[in-house]
Amino acid sequence: MIDAALLGQLLPEFGAAALRTVLLTLVGLAGGLVVGFGFHALRETGWRAARCLYVAYTGVWRGVPFLIHLFIVYFGLPSAGLSLDPFAAAGLTLAVYGGAYFAEIFRACWQSIPRGQIEAARCMGLSSRQIFATIECPQALRASLPLIASQTILLMKESALASVITYPELTMTAGKVVSEQFVYVEPYLLLALSYWGLSLLVNRAAGTLRAWSALRETPRP
Amino acid sequence: MNASVTVPIVSMRGVGKSFGTQCVLSGIDLDIRKGEVVSLIGPSGSGKTTLLRCMNFLEAYDEGEVRIRGALLGYRRNAAGALVRESERVIAEVRSPVAMVFQQFNLWPHMTVLANVMAPLTLAKGLREDQARSVAGEALERVGMSAKADARPPQLSGGQQQRVGIARALAVGPEVMLLDEPTSALDPELVDEVLEVIKSLSRGGMTMIMVTHEMSFAAEVSDRIVFMEKSRIVTIGTPREVIHQPEHPRIRAFLQPWIRRSLGNAAAGAAA
Amino acid sequence: MNAATLLERLAAYLPVLLQGLATTLSVAVAAILLGFAWGAVLLGLSLRRGGRGVLPAAVRTYLSFFRGTPLLVQLLMLFYLPSAYGVDLPPLLVAIVALGLNSAAFQCEILRAGLVAVPAGQIEAAASFGMPPARIFRHVQLPQLARAVWPAVVSEAVDVVKSSAIISVIAVADLGRSGRQIVAANFRPLEVYVCVGLCYLLMTGAVLWLGHWLRTRMERP
Repeated sequence: MIDAALLGQLLPEFGAAALRTVLLTLVGLAGGLVVGFGFHALRETGWRAARCLYVAYTGVWRGVPFLIHLFIVYFGLPSAGLSLDPFAAAGLTLAVYGGAYFAEIFRACWQSIPRGQIEAARCMGLSSRQIFATIECPQALRASLPLIASQTILLMKESALASVITYPELTMTAGKVVSEQFVYVEPYLLLALSYWGLSLLVNRAAGTLRAWSALRETPRP
Repeated sequence: MNASVTVPIVSMRGVGKSFGTQCVLSGIDLDIRKGEVVSLIGPSGSGKTTLLRCMNFLEAYDEGEVRIRGALLGYRRNAAGALVRESERVIAEVRSPVAMVFQQFNLWPHMTVLANVMAPLTLAKGLREDQARSVAGEALERVGMSAKADARPPQLSGGQQQRVGIARALAVGPEVMLLDEPTSALDPELVDEVLEVIKSLSRGGMTMIMVTHEMSFAAEVSDRIVFMEKSRIVTIGTPREVIHQPEHPRIRAFLQPWIRRSLGNAAAGAAA
Repeated sequence: MNAATLLERLAAYLPVLLQGLATTLSVAVAAILLGFAWGAVLLGLSLRRGGRGVLPAAVRTYLSFFRGTPLLVQLLMLFYLPSAYGVDLPPLLVAIVALGLNSAAFQCEILRAGLVAVPAGQIEAAASFGMPPARIFRHVQLPQLARAVWPAVVSEAVDVVKSSAIISVIAVADLGRSGRQIVAANFRPLEVYVCVGLCYLLMTGAVLWLGHWLRTRMERP
């Protein structure tokens, strides 16, 4: 039924493609965290313009499918003067798209900090910036880890769409093998298992990260 | 208060329970006679609530035996004499004479007050709608909540919700009522209305086992007081022996704050 | 590119885009309903025998797979694997089934979370009065379920509308494909795809608004 020899043959190619998927996801993760945190910090300043910008960004970017974002960037921007290769286009789009979700994650985690702590700090004379850095950030960022982990898996799944704009990640590689060698089961099996395995890995890594951060919280005698 | 001298309604022998490695009950021997009112008191973590919940198998005890009207609760003995978990259906049957009033009321918020009281009757006891309605109506009358029959729990105060909870337990016609800190979740001014209802039930001859922190009330209505500490029963006695004139130093230590408050109130009353 | 001709162009896009939009909406609605029904069945199966045994384990595997691999991969597998064995399925059907099977995995988790949200004390009280588990589910948990799961269900509906954008890769004439058609004719990708994006924004906005409106109607006693 399943040609094991073929599976073996395909492994190196799929391995390289998996690395590209991981790379793309990491770009989306890193870029998204920066963009998302930036917008969140902007919102925390309290300026009305900043809040409007934040609402517009998170609303529009999360309300449109990732595929359409890709089309706008890869097919649309060149006519406005910005031509990007598939990797750059996919990475940039993924980062800005992910940023909208990360911004909302940060917002939720910031809101989860009991108001009483902020009030107490304010009474004792801490400035907004100090409160942000020393009271809110440590707690909220720790709380955000599990949400960031699941969002990373979502980003990895969206990265499969980079295949549509011909970036040779996992999905495109599988499609290539199918159309060149006329085999279906082995490539798709490898494809599904690769993503499945990667997402399980991310979950495991997130669990370890969470345990490590919880450990750091335990008070020393 | 008359307590008939026959087979105890609830009987516990050598009962023990652990959560993982933590032992919360050990070596519990206790008999409850029909018509008795027994209060369980003690510091938090002493195991009083767990003990109460073992009486209707909301907690599965690990050692010993709990019997309701002589029938073994939760388990049966297999051929080798070991304890084997019983089926849900048999457990429900054995514990049917026992009804519980919860600290958090645990009413069902999407049903009216009347529906809350009727539900156990129609859904568990198999009564017809009209039968259930009249029984429920009587129970609500008994606790003074008839006027609110069509209200929903979120619209009621804590004290009102707890009275509905008592009506719900009454309606099934239990032989024993278990009360798990019935007033602990209430604002102080609402506590009395619930205590009044409980008092009138005790005067009516209901067998009641109550976990409570209301010392004066416990002393007033109980036939016996059980003092527990660190998973064991330290002493069982009359209200006078345990609360008013405690000999055990640990009981005295536990009751200190209450004694001080009562003396303070008495002094304030004398000065007025 | 003056304003008059821009408007004229936009007016010309409209009928084509609306056709695609209708397809997108119908596919999304069918997939959401399928996902809900199948998700509820999955939840029921997973609760059998307290979560032990073959069926609950199979459900857990299903959930892990459908949530851990990209929807695009699931769609491609569902479309191309049967054709490898000679079975040619209509793209529209495959699209709805793939979206539905995927959504079911998420809706199953949403429903489970909703069940757990009903306070344990209420279930305990019902059990202590001798109500059998089936009756407890029907009279205590189910009535409160709707209120608990609503926000998550609305969020999932928005996700399905967005995810439906990928069905254009298997030649379904949805909104994205309508956009591609127009671009192939007039070579204005930026303008057209931004319009497509706006259409999606309108759709997701409408779903959110509908969800909010239905919720306020539910809250009324």
